[in-house]
Amino acid sequence: MFLALKEIKHEKMRYGLIVFMIFLIAYMILATWGLAYGLARENTVALEGWQTKSVVLNKNANLFMNSSILTKDDLKKINLTDKEAVVGELQVVAKKKGKTGINAQYMGVKKGEFIYKDQDVIAGRRAKSKYEVTADSSFKDKGYKLGDKVTLNGSDHKYTIVGFVKDAKINIEPIMYGFLPAWKELKNVAPGIEASGIISQRKLSVKGKNFKTYGIKEFTQKLPGHSEQNMTFELMIAFMFIISLAIVAVFLYILTIQKLPNYAVLRAQGVPAKTLIWATVSQSLLLVTSALVLALLAIWGTAAAIPASVPMAFTPGIFVATIGGMLVMALLGGLNPVRTILKIDPVQAIGG
Amino acid sequence: MAAIEIKNVKKVYGQGDAATVALKGVDFSADTGNVVLLMGPSGAGKSTLLTIMGALQTATSGKVEIDGQDISQLKEKDRSRLRLNKLGFILQAYNLVPYLTVKEQFQLVDKVKKTGNLRQEELKDLLADLGIENLVKKYPENLSGGQKQRVAIARAMYANPKILLADEPTASLDSERVEEVGRLFKKLAKDDRKAIILVTHDPRLEKYADHIYDMMDGQLSQRK
Repeated sequence: MFLALKEIKHEKMRYGLIVFMIFLIAYMILATWGLAYGLARENTVALEGWQTKSVVLNKNANLFMNSSILTKDDLKKINLTDKEAVVGELQVVAKKKGKTGINAQYMGVKKGEFIYKDQDVIAGRRAKSKYEVTADSSFKDKGYKLGDKVTLNGSDHKYTIVGFVKDAKINIEPIMYGFLPAWKELKNVAPGIEASGIISQRKLSVKGKNFKTYGIKEFTQKLPGHSEQNMTFELMIAFMFIISLAIVAVFLYILTIQKLPNYAVLRAQGVPAKTLIWATVSQSLLLVTSALVLALLAIWGTAAAIPASVPMAFTPGIFVATIGGMLVMALLGGLNPVRTILKIDPVQAIGG
Repeated sequence: MAAIEIKNVKKVYGQGDAATVALKGVDFSADTGNVVLLMGPSGAGKSTLLTIMGALQTATSGKVEIDGQDISQLKEKDRSRLRLNKLGFILQAYNLVPYLTVKEQFQLVDKVKKTGNLRQEELKDLLADLGIENLVKKYPENLSGGQKQRVAIARAMYANPKILLADEPTASLDSERVEEVGRLFKKLAKDDRKAIILVTHDPRLEKYADHIYDMMDGQLSQRK
């Protein structure tokens, strides 16, 4: 560590640039991961808030709730408890006079059921009548206020926003919570159609002629673009880890090669190889740790500065995985020149 | 007692037709308290002998004893420990660690050799004797050739080795400094009971030597 620290202190520019390179990669990994998680979260945050374990949908809806319809007969065949909530989902464009429309998901629910009761209202109150809605807080961010009246898909009736709720997003779109009768009206469903699906907090396994139960994992995987988006981000993150490994390994290898004459002298003087190996490995860890600290500060600043509409979110797991992953890369990169150090011939230290 | 004793040491590089004989059965010894000069033209085998005495490489045949210990069969790890504890090196190209200040060069010795190094007062005296007491905060890049060489000498001495091996230790020094370094080597040998072996072309050191050997074509002959 002594040699590592002293060298970094003396060669500030050289090591500063290396730290900067690793910082950029660590920052990119965090930013990409934060965006990936933020986007994925916008797909599923409402489902998570509802503590969904399974979803009942029409068999032919291809796991797409917007296309699913359940009839009165279907609902009769399912033993509904307080762990189930019947919902009617419809993609809508919410528009206030003089403002541009917002794509949203209208979620018709029943008053006594958990989705209605568990809404995390941050302003106003829950809807009470047919033409009242609570809207995701992103509506508030876009200038909507309590009491605003909006049309949904150009509806004849205007819907009044009576509350804003937190974390009400599905398919990356904000949810507007209303009631099933309003959903039926908006969707203009045929008589006998009661809902789009059932959200359950249990692991249901009901199956009927027209409907089927899906586990939450299967359901979210089938959300439009969700798995493709996740896979793309995961690949990007994996590539960035590999690039960071390559950078650390290549830089340290070049630096070690440059130091071989000095190392030969130190070996000649009896300095054990393990001291030189530790100098290299600890230097690698120091560089990556410094870069990580800077990256964490930068990402904290970024997350605070970016507009609320950019979905960047983090979990402790993302930080732990990034820090752990980068340190493993540092360790591997630092171990790369070990063979070279072990092969140093101290005789090289003596001139002819 | 001989600090270093070498008997019939041969060193051959390469094999078959490509074999080059660097040392042709060399006998040599250096006693504690003596300054010994190894002189001779380039390519005569001086450096090869120095590396074998310094446990940096092994002889092809023959016996090498350092402080009474036969080192011919030692593994690299043990030879490394021997170099750290009993031998000091002063090399041609100064070989200071470029990113350590003069003071830190000594701290590095403390890091790898925890005991037996000079005390801080002794180090102070040594630096004063070498005229480098005001350079402790400087990096090697800010030192002249002569200053670097004196720091290298101080660093080798700081570890308080029994045997000091030097390869052209006065190559970058002016005559005044050569005299100072020569006197210092003599003092260290006599007062601190060290064996000091100097490979050199510099005739200005001859007057400080207890013994002088000439090396020619891999063979050693004693002049003094």
